Amino acid sequence: MKKLILASMLTMCSTIAFAEVAVIVNPANANAVSQDDIKKIYLGKSKSFADGTKVNPVNQNGNAVADEFNDKLVGKSGSQLNAYWSKLVFTGKGTPPGKLDNDQAVIDFVAANADAIGYIDSAKASDKVKVVGKY
Amino acid sequence: MKKLSVAVAICCALATSSASAEVRINGFASIVGGKSLDSDQTLYGYDDDISFKNESVFALQLTADLQEKLTATAQIVARGANDFDADFEWAYLTYEFSDDLQLSAGKMRLPLFRYSDFLDVGYTYRWVRPPQSVYNLPFSTYEGLSLLHTTQLGDWDSTVQVVYGSFDDNIAVVSVNGDTELNNMAGVNWSLSYDWFSARAAYFIADTSIGIQNDTAEGMALNGLEQALRSSGFSEQANDIAINEDDSYFLAFGFSIDYNNILFDAEYTEFEVENSALAKQTQYYTSLGYRMDEVTVHLTYENNDDKHDSSRYNALPTVPPLNAGLNQALEGSKAKSNVYTIGARYDFHPMAALKVDFSRFEDDITNTETDVVAVGVDLVF
Repeated sequence: MKKLILASMLTMCSTIAFAEVAVIVNPANANAVSQDDIKKIYLGKSKSFADGTKVNPVNQNGNAVADEFNDKLVGKSGSQLNAYWSKLVFTGKGTPPGKLDNDQAVIDFVAANADAIGYIDSAKASDKVKVVGKY
Repeated sequence: MKKLSVAVAICCALATSSASAEVRINGFASIVGGKSLDSDQTLYGYDDDISFKNESVFALQLTADLQEKLTATAQIVARGANDFDADFEWAYLTYEFSDDLQLSAGKMRLPLFRYSDFLDVGYTYRWVRPPQSVYNLPFSTYEGLSLLHTTQLGDWDSTVQVVYGSFDDNIAVVSVNGDTELNNMAGVNWSLSYDWFSARAAYFIADTSIGIQNDTAEGMALNGLEQALRSSGFSEQANDIAINEDDSYFLAFGFSIDYNNILFDAEYTEFEVENSALAKQTQYYTSLGYRMDEVTVHLTYENNDDKHDSSRYNALPTVPPLNAGLNQALEGSKAKSNVYTIGARYDFHPMAALKVDFSRFEDDITNTETDVVAVGVDLVF
């Protein structure tokens, strides 16, 4: 029971902490990226930015930011997303974005790769990356 | 032999590339236990003893990006029904011409049904097994080519897949071990989806030959009839019994809805090997599901109706014994059944789901009912 209370408190805290998700790209990337573009990129339906550059998306690994992002932008739960990608992976039709463990790893990845896109807790955004939308 | 050489080629491709290319390993598994609730009826391979083997599957997929646009994929599947002997069920190379056009060559899944491509990946659907009245063809793979084109038409996603190839193996149709060849197999599979709605149509043709062995009563009866017809000089009627280089077609329509946690699926299929003893098959199912966070409940109705056109009967009115034999063979291939399934899926882990299904199969020809209950865990990793 104690565990349950602790877990629900943590859930509440994390919801408050990650009130906003910032979607980030490399500062050199001049493309406009809409909410719909982000959804399509993270479902593997769009493979390029508006200027034709191949997009290199990165996810976070099952943490609160990832839950927030999946819920707000992709509109699917973790299980639904796993089922969605399983259909593509096991038929050779797609590969899900790679996963990084935390905001800092995503910032470093996006800062180092001109074709990258990622998402972080908006409070962690730094000038190493460019925020294309807060949700 | 063909199968083996494709598998070896892909293995070589995977092995030689491993030094330079990244090899991804994915896998899936289903561990299913079930039993028939009737002591004298079997269904889906279950009798009244609990079996954990029958529908359990374990599979690994290796994918190697050989260069930017070329990928080699092999899927090794071990089925409980096959004593968990590992088999290469998929082994193919894919070349990506562009973001929306790719060509694959090798051994792949034939995209007959909506869930064909991920038939074994139980994690991707809500049932323990897809509705078997529709998903009933005794083969699921082919060797050949597949061209896949994806586009966006406004808010709709369109996927067109064109396949060409062949199938050559022993399958159980009429007899247990029928040497089967599907040649010049060609087909198209088109799906359109819009956020919560998707629709699909597929059409395939093939030259079909199925050798009937004398290893079942039905097989012996059909072979006996065919020989009797031939020795009496009725080769046309004999050819209409034999399944030898006959034209066959497969047609499928379906749609599915996933709207505000309400799930609905329906598929209709037709399959016919023309001028053969096999009856034309007509099947459909409708399935309603409701998702409550981690739990999904569902109800499914399936219908199967296999019969010959009435014009096939009384083909030899002048020779009553052979005429009766022909009519009997046509009657013997009839089937008519319904299945009701109620079940639930619980996503107890991000990569695993627990499922339970209860199915009642009603055979309208023998007037028998068979109940099967199955509980399973599906994983992806």
